[in-house]
Amino acid sequence: MSTDHTGRSESLPSVPSIDDPRPHPPLTEHFNTGTATDPDVGARETSSLTVDGEEVNVGEEATIIDALEEVGADEDLSALCYYDREDTDRIGPRSECRTCMVETDEHGLVPSCSHPAEDGMTVRTNSTEAEEARSVNLDLVLSDHNLRCTTCGKNGRCELQDAAIEADVEVPRYGVFDNRDEYEPIDESSPFIQIDRNKCILCNRCVEACNDVQVEGVLRIEGSGPDTRIGFQNGADEMMDSTCVSCGHCATVCPTGSLVEQDYTDAATIPLPGFTQENSIGKTIGEDYDGQPNPATPMKGNQTYEDDALGEADDD
Amino acid sequence: MVGTEAATTPAIRVAVGSAEYDRAAAVLEAAREAATDVRVVETGPTGAAALAPVVLATADDRTTVHANVSPDRARELVETLDDGELATDDAHAVVESDEGVSMAETGPLAIGQRRALARCGWAAPAALDESLAERTRDEPDDLREAVAGAGLLGRGRGDGHTDESIAEGWATARESDGETVVVVNGNESDPAVDGDRLLLESRPAEVLDGALAVAAAVEATDVVVYLNEDDELAAQRVREAVESVDADGTGIDVVAGPDRYIAGEMTMALEAMEGADRLEARLRPPGPSEVGLYGRPTVVHTPRTLAQIRAFAAAPDEFETSAADPGSRLLTVTGDGVAGPTTVELATDTALAEAVASSEYKMACVGGRFGGITRSLDVPASAPALTGARLGTEGGIELFDGATCALEFAGSRAKFAREKNCGRCVPCREGSKQLVDLLRDVYEGQFQPSELRELSRVVAESSTCEFGQAAPRPVTTAIDTFEREIAAHAEGRCPSGVCTETN
Repeated sequence: MSTDHTGRSESLPSVPSIDDPRPHPPLTEHFNTGTATDPDVGARETSSLTVDGEEVNVGEEATIIDALEEVGADEDLSALCYYDREDTDRIGPRSECRTCMVETDEHGLVPSCSHPAEDGMTVRTNSTEAEEARSVNLDLVLSDHNLRCTTCGKNGRCELQDAAIEADVEVPRYGVFDNRDEYEPIDESSPFIQIDRNKCILCNRCVEACNDVQVEGVLRIEGSGPDTRIGFQNGADEMMDSTCVSCGHCATVCPTGSLVEQDYTDAATIPLPGFTQENSIGKTIGEDYDGQPNPATPMKGNQTYEDDALGEADDD
Repeated sequence: MVGTEAATTPAIRVAVGSAEYDRAAAVLEAAREAATDVRVVETGPTGAAALAPVVLATADDRTTVHANVSPDRARELVETLDDGELATDDAHAVVESDEGVSMAETGPLAIGQRRALARCGWAAPAALDESLAERTRDEPDDLREAVAGAGLLGRGRGDGHTDESIAEGWATARESDGETVVVVNGNESDPAVDGDRLLLESRPAEVLDGALAVAAAVEATDVVVYLNEDDELAAQRVREAVESVDADGTGIDVVAGPDRYIAGEMTMALEAMEGADRLEARLRPPGPSEVGLYGRPTVVHTPRTLAQIRAFAAAPDEFETSAADPGSRLLTVTGDGVAGPTTVELATDTALAEAVASSEYKMACVGGRFGGITRSLDVPASAPALTGARLGTEGGIELFDGATCALEFAGSRAKFAREKNCGRCVPCREGSKQLVDLLRDVYEGQFQPSELRELSRVVAESSTCEFGQAAPRPVTTAIDTFEREIAAHAEGRCPSGVCTETN
């Protein structure tokens, strides 16, 4: 198998004669989101748990965090990557950030967002181990985040900022991502959505919004280890070369300033001379695009010709 | 069957494994050209790379074992045997045996006990003496109850039940909805852990028979053997074994995944088998026994686990079933002072030191890539004993001499964790970066053992899969064992004289 620099490899041979009984929505069959096919992590049946000494009953499909919310025990948890919205169950739990760890008598430390609620389970949010794990993991998220809040369009409406304030983080143990030489350029190619990967925490919400909710199949996770990043399924380097239709759902769900509507990139920037969102990074790509006539990228237009089921494009 | 014919016909066996393939294949060719009456059998490797190519000559219930045989020497051995003689003079070992179980009284082949390895280097890879699958199809309860009663544990990081009860995993799969699949996870890219590759190259028929027996016990419809892409010889021999075993309607697929360390993790193995173009760990619970390959209940076992099940079923009386971890463990010994990777089998109540010929080492890393560092191998080979000693249960013992620096070694393993993780969860992806940085700080004069331990604890306890759960172990055990040596670096001194300014 050959692997390119992003760690993305050619498709593996799948198991030829094994049946796949899972239902596949026809539209998402060819999406390569780069993410694992997680099992359904919700409870199979209703259950009764003890959370910090209190009895809680939760229904089917509940994870531990649902029980915590019932008694307000989730207040001490950052649960940063958890997307807690009643109206969609298509985003998360990704259980990436592990800032929702709790202690259970039955399984030790578990991530409350993605561990099934079990009948008879005893959960403690305030054990030393759980508090340590949440605190270290939040600092680990910050260690890879460019903490340039004063020039960030999401300043004041950023979930990571909120989590850090609520957890009383004054000086993160491992510092923050402030090595300018290693910053990725801001992707300015799209006139609608800006990508600043230096602020990305890899929560995967945008990928799920793009694929599972909007069924557009533009965004994906690519690479591995320290090179893991949000990329485009068509292999484009810049958003304008992707098949984006500028629906904006990725920016809506982004917890940080990584995906921001272009008009708002400077919205919350503190007006100091010489300090702008763009020069906080100092590097951009895609500025040679001088706008686009409609929200769909040029590649989206081409896609209809190239992306028929068999991949056989007409030459004329 | 090869084993039973041996007593009557003089036979030459040439052990051919991937590590010595070219040399051993030349020996095999020379032996075949020279043979007129004697039978020449191609077997799999013996597990002792330092002896390869190995040739066995058998006549009249007696076998001579010859090490490092050249093609010319192979011709002579064949001619001698053709004359009805055994060349005992320069033999590595002479054994009164025609069963291959005990192949030597000294040297690497004499170490430990050979149960799972009994016929490695002896029987043709596709040969099978006794079928456990057939027995289990007739009486599926027997195997389930026996394995449950004995409390057999899964072997190797790629097993679905590493160091946990196999029988419980089977029960979960049987209770779960959907048609069950048995996956043989033979994908292991850790060069220090060779037990699975040895079994796949030497005893693929036994591995398949074990998998088919498990399939019968859990009422699975399919068996998938998952290998490394690089393991061409293993793949070829497994395919040949597929042709020769009686699958009785159970589907058997042989597939290969990437030669990457993460591809051996049980859920990334499933991702690779489903054709994912990027590998990352799946959330659990529920684990693969409930929701596995294509969402179906999936029993994942390594070849080592399957060999253990077969060895147990063949001789249950030899297993101390009251033990917390009955049976034996395959251990690959590599490193300084070891002539070549040597895979041996120790009963779980035997100390690891038995597996190692030399006692002249500074430290050992026990448990593969993310094993634990120790000065002493006086630890039994059972899972609870190894875990209690903060070592890993992966079957690997790497030896290091005085020219190895504990800090440099721990740093290299932390870097491996940083570069090779799947990228999914924060504690593993970001924690491994910080682990490397904290170790680097030691060279800058700052050794912070409590910070290192705190980070290691959180990475180990909150990572999604066993990669992150094990990744900090070389670091924490290095601090446990060599704290003063590490601290010396903060004062600009490397006691081993290994680390330089550039580190």
